[in-house]
Amino acid sequence: MSFLFGGNNRSVEGSVDPAKVEMAMAELDMITDVFNRLVTSCHTKCISSTPNNHRYVEGELLKGESVCIDRCTAKFFEVNKKVGERMSAMGNAAQSTGTFGR
Amino acid sequence: MDFSQFNGAEQAHMSKVIEKKQMQDFMKLYSGLVERCFNACAQDFTTKALTTNESTCVQNCTDKFLKHSERVGARFAEHNAEQMQGGK
Repeated sequence: MSFLFGGNNRSVEGSVDPAKVEMAMAELDMITDVFNRLVTSCHTKCISSTPNNHRYVEGELLKGESVCIDRCTAKFFEVNKKVGERMSAMGNAAQSTGTFGR
Repeated sequence: MDFSQFNGAEQAHMSKVIEKKQMQDFMKLYSGLVERCFNACAQDFTTKALTTNESTCVQNCTDKFLKHSERVGARFAEHNAEQMQGGK
């Protein structure tokens, strides 16, 4: 993931701020986790579930599979957003009433 | 992710961490792929060696998964880029 650094070659200077590094690592872990779940979910839905692939007669992505992957990822992001919105709405409601999940 | 506010030492530290994580991810991908393709392809236990069909199946299974993950990666990157632009 060297693209994250934008290719600037600054020399090593200063000290490491543990809090900052901790935050960056948590973000990195989250992104990796989302990506891995996305790959697994869409593979299950688009590739391994089709009877054609129970024995894998084909190594290329078929047209329909490619379309399925595109739609699957788009839906996954939408679900991600929706769940996030619902959860923050619940969080806000809980904060104003002092209860959670009621 | 934006590391532009990191100083040199922090950037060096992060690239080390990322390198380690990439190694872990690779091992996870490898073992996951073995499990996935073994379960899908290894059907015939009347022989010890993989049959011709099973071999082709494993090859196709691996190829297909890697292409799948490449495509998902491309869509993921597009989505992230969109989010970055929308967020600022």
